[in-house]
Amino acid sequence: MLPSSSYQPNYFSIEDILATQERTPCKFLQDVPRMGKLNPSAEEKDLKVGTELELPLWLVLDGAAGRQLILAPELPKIYREAYREILKADATAIDLHKFNLYFYELGSYIKHFDRRGDVHNILLHTFTTRFRLIMDLANNADSDPTIQNKLDTLERRLFKDGHNARMKLNTWLLESGIPLKAASMVDNHRKRKRVNEELV
Amino acid sequence: MFAEKACSLIKELSRCEEGLPPYNIELVKEVCTEIKQLHEQNKEDGAIVANESEIAGNVNPLYPTLRIGSAAVKRNIRCLLAYHYNRLRTLRTMRWQFGSILPPDIKTNLSSDEIDWFSKYSSCLGKYMRSIGEDGLNLCLDLRPPKSLYIEVKCLIDYGKFELSDGTVLLLKKDSRHYLPRSECEELITQGVFHHIV
Amino acid sequence: MDEIDIESALNEIENESDDEDEVQISLPEIIQLMEETWLNEKFSPEILPNKMEIVELLLDQITTLETNLKKLNNSDFKKGLYQMEVDRLRFLISSYLRKRLEKIEIFCTAILEQEKLRSQQGKDNYLSQNELQFAQEYDQSIKDNFESVMRFCPGIIETQIISPNIHSMVFLKSKENIDGIVIDDGNDDNDLIDLTTGAQVLIGYKSISNLVKNGDVHLI
Repeated sequence: MLPSSSYQPNYFSIEDILATQERTPCKFLQDVPRMGKLNPSAEEKDLKVGTELELPLWLVLDGAAGRQLILAPELPKIYREAYREILKADATAIDLHKFNLYFYELGSYIKHFDRRGDVHNILLHTFTTRFRLIMDLANNADSDPTIQNKLDTLERRLFKDGHNARMKLNTWLLESGIPLKAASMVDNHRKRKRVNEELV
Repeated sequence: MFAEKACSLIKELSRCEEGLPPYNIELVKEVCTEIKQLHEQNKEDGAIVANESEIAGNVNPLYPTLRIGSAAVKRNIRCLLAYHYNRLRTLRTMRWQFGSILPPDIKTNLSSDEIDWFSKYSSCLGKYMRSIGEDGLNLCLDLRPPKSLYIEVKCLIDYGKFELSDGTVLLLKKDSRHYLPRSECEELITQGVFHHIV
Repeated sequence: MDEIDIESALNEIENESDDEDEVQISLPEIIQLMEETWLNEKFSPEILPNKMEIVELLLDQITTLETNLKKLNNSDFKKGLYQMEVDRLRFLISSYLRKRLEKIEIFCTAILEQEKLRSQQGKDNYLSQNELQFAQEYDQSIKDNFESVMRFCPGIIETQIISPNIHSMVFLKSKENIDGIVIDDGNDDNDLIDLTTGAQVLIGYKSISNLVKNGDVHLI
């Protein structure tokens, strides 16, 4: 196992909040009075033991923690065996974005629901296999920007950082000088303003 | 579902990669109402659970309800604070990029608390920068290692008069070109007044 | 342009003017220390003990250099050369202090707590006096903002403190022969490694944070 403390998402992290909003299947282990409304297809007031639902991950994590388990989490389908097989066959061919926008971030939570470690292994396998691809893309100055569409959020950030660093290195090697630029926010602000003025 | 509105606040921020969407006071108010209602309900349930567990010695059937209720409050608070926190962080970056005066159209997107925070941050940063060394150091300058002493710049707007450190006064007109010491024009480049020609 | 040239040129200026207050450490040495300090701060996930004494030494030197520069004729070729070096040094200091401010802001509450602990234990603070004041004001301003947001339901604010990820990986270069560094990766089976002078490795920051702080290694 990896050290559990090696990665802790920041409390205010937008990415982590969005990843923990993803729906995760689970099964209730207890009756929950007055929480019938969690199940949109039923009209009872109380939620009955045995009910199977898809709830946001933050709620599932909380219900599956502590001494008193309220619910039992299950694996979302993209981490189940059928999908794991697809990833094992050729991870580089996959549109990971379609699997899930937060494939790794979500997976790092989900893997704790899988005691056998298969999810853990497939996360690692997927990342290491696809890393070369991302590196090649980032190093290639005129790589197709639409390629980004097939990457998950973490991969996109790596691609973007790598690509920017490559571009800076290229400019430096070619011109040995990087032009001073307006701050990015100032620049965008100006562009937006221009667009607005043209519309008026 | 609980905390759905609170999460929409976060989605608003994530859609806007740079810059700030207008402060969504309506949605913030709705989230506050949800928190308050859940919190009241939890207090009630909590009292019952605590009371009856003492008597019966086993767990009250309301316990799972309470767990879910308090998880929902926690989630709502996390989203609400993250919304405000990330907006302040963006404002912070704006202080470094725009300087201590924000363009009016950005200012209209802020809440009054945010405008207060911006000026507080600005003065706190100013105080710190003035405290460095003998006569202070402007950390908003020297953002990149220097490559050359003089650079050629084009003025992008009618800026007006600009005084150099040696006392020379330049009149900066739109599209005028100047050959100036890099240290003199770095701030105006950052603020988008000059364009650096290479 | 050769690095050595600039440094000896700078020494020349320094020696012209610094007769009255004796500097024990030469300008090239200060610059080298500053560069190392800057890189350490740039690459370490947590805030490091401040090196304000180096910053101040270097700022003094910059002031002296600038005074001397004013005396030089504008047409003097050397003037441009010196000015460039002064700008480079100012960048070094600004970048170092900016990096520290960024960490202070993000890990504000955690840093303030650690500083309090250090004071109680009679240890030196990591922040300079001015940074500490900035940190307190910044921390308070965020807390005030949160309180204002939550004023409809006082008393239920709960946030988690943001701490740096001290397990992140860093590149380092060893300045000494060091034996028996424990690789702390959260497991019980702790492996040991030895470093020879000049060795460069990629390693979890937590295992070597004390070596960075006492100057046996530096981050690259």
